[in-house]
Amino acid sequence: MVEHFFRHEYGRLVATLCRRVGAQHIEVVEDAVQSALMAALESWTVSGAPDNPSAWLFRVAHNDVVGHLRQRTRRRRLLEQYTKEAIDTGEKGSELFLAQEVQDDLLRMLFVCCDEGIPEPSQLVLALKTLCGFDIREIALRLFISEANVYKRLARARSQLRKFPPRTDGPSEAQITSRLPAVRKILYLLFTEGYLSSHAETAIRRELCNEAIRLTSILAEHPLGQTPETFALLALMHLHAARMPARQDGAGGLVLLEEQDRDLWDREEIQVGLALLARSAHGDVFSRYHAEAGIAAEHCLAPSLQETRWDKVVEFYSLLERSAPSPMHKLNRAVAVAEWKGPAAGLEVLDGFEPPTWLVRSYIWSAVLADLHRRCGNAELANRYRKLAWKAAPTSAVKQLLQHRLQINKQTIPRYG
Amino acid sequence: MPKYLCMQRNLPGGESRKPSPAEMQEMYSKFRAWQEKFQANLVDMGGKLGAGKLVTESAADGPFVEVKELVGGYMILSAQSLDEAITVARAFPGLVHPGSGVEVIEIRTA
Repeated sequence: MVEHFFRHEYGRLVATLCRRVGAQHIEVVEDAVQSALMAALESWTVSGAPDNPSAWLFRVAHNDVVGHLRQRTRRRRLLEQYTKEAIDTGEKGSELFLAQEVQDDLLRMLFVCCDEGIPEPSQLVLALKTLCGFDIREIALRLFISEANVYKRLARARSQLRKFPPRTDGPSEAQITSRLPAVRKILYLLFTEGYLSSHAETAIRRELCNEAIRLTSILAEHPLGQTPETFALLALMHLHAARMPARQDGAGGLVLLEEQDRDLWDREEIQVGLALLARSAHGDVFSRYHAEAGIAAEHCLAPSLQETRWDKVVEFYSLLERSAPSPMHKLNRAVAVAEWKGPAAGLEVLDGFEPPTWLVRSYIWSAVLADLHRRCGNAELANRYRKLAWKAAPTSAVKQLLQHRLQINKQTIPRYG
Repeated sequence: MPKYLCMQRNLPGGESRKPSPAEMQEMYSKFRAWQEKFQANLVDMGGKLGAGKLVTESAADGPFVEVKELVGGYMILSAQSLDEAITVARAFPGLVHPGSGVEVIEIRTA
């Protein structure tokens, strides 16, 4: 059986059935799909899997949904009209389950998830639940929030879909265009949840990244999704993911960029990323995704840390700061400037900068300052920030990394992955 | 080889949580592995039990008993001994855990 078959089939079925009966019935649809998968588990282990497993699942889930909706007494006549049609088409279900139709349904579901009336955290949870097929416990584990929190965010999303159901014939072209940025944002969030996750298991982190890549690829294959920003987003995902094997050592610890074994980088995936980057360089568009993809590309192209074109990296960080201003981007630019022009120049970038509380409290801020001050010879300041970084380290993997880095007495600079 | 009837029993204590799609896939893989490993012992994979009635001579209607509250499902194995049948049944994925057990009973033919 194909890896992730059950989970991806969940996504495909929910997307297709929501299109047919309306996303306002998403709970009925999800229950039916869950039941169909359980039925498959029981039946296929005893009698063997059918020739067309997807069609089998669709038929079972579809009948379940139709049966459920038929029981509802409100708008009975309308439903009877639908269910009559549904039963007629149900027989031909397997023929209609074409690959292209499924891709369209998945994309449509992605747009449904990014409804303007649904808060972003709820959008992400809804996408993880319906498109990726994770359950509440698995989502809580991956997002580092409580199950109750996941449930609340999900309920918020479902409530919105119930009160303001999406159009039955799908989003209009205007809606699609206006929702594209939100869709990309969610895909980006999904990717970073995997890439920047502090989860101990590499497989789980990588799986989230792969889900983001899978869904973004579907977006990139659709005429309406084929924009420069989408290609840049997909490029940055591949360029980051290609380097993931080197970011953790065998014990699950984090490895400094300067010490990462570049032989472990997936060269083929880097090529895929670079090709997408090339595709994204059309028109007048330059988004934050372009900047981030550019930075990732510079790292991927450098044979070693020392040979990295830091001037280009700095340029991209400047562009990133402009298109998506954030304290984190400023900090990253300072680090890149330090690489390029020396630690004093790096400190200069942060001169007079009042970081927000959340950044001051983070280990990354203290670690960067400890490092820059050490290299400038400011021993006392370096020590102060070293202690703060150590205190603020969130996991033992990070603590180990800091201990390793802050004890190294080299001229070269540490990168934090 | 003698045959053994195996009946799944729900036991007190133990949560019944719906498995996620990812968990179902894992269970499916484990089932297939189990089926392959113990091919020679499988006689009848049986299935889950549904509604039923207890038929007695006392009352015309007969008391209605939800058999599936007592027994969730069954299968028939063949093995050299009760111990071997138990080994096979115990290895069945998801059968023996808090809240579920399996009753393994020899079927007397002679």
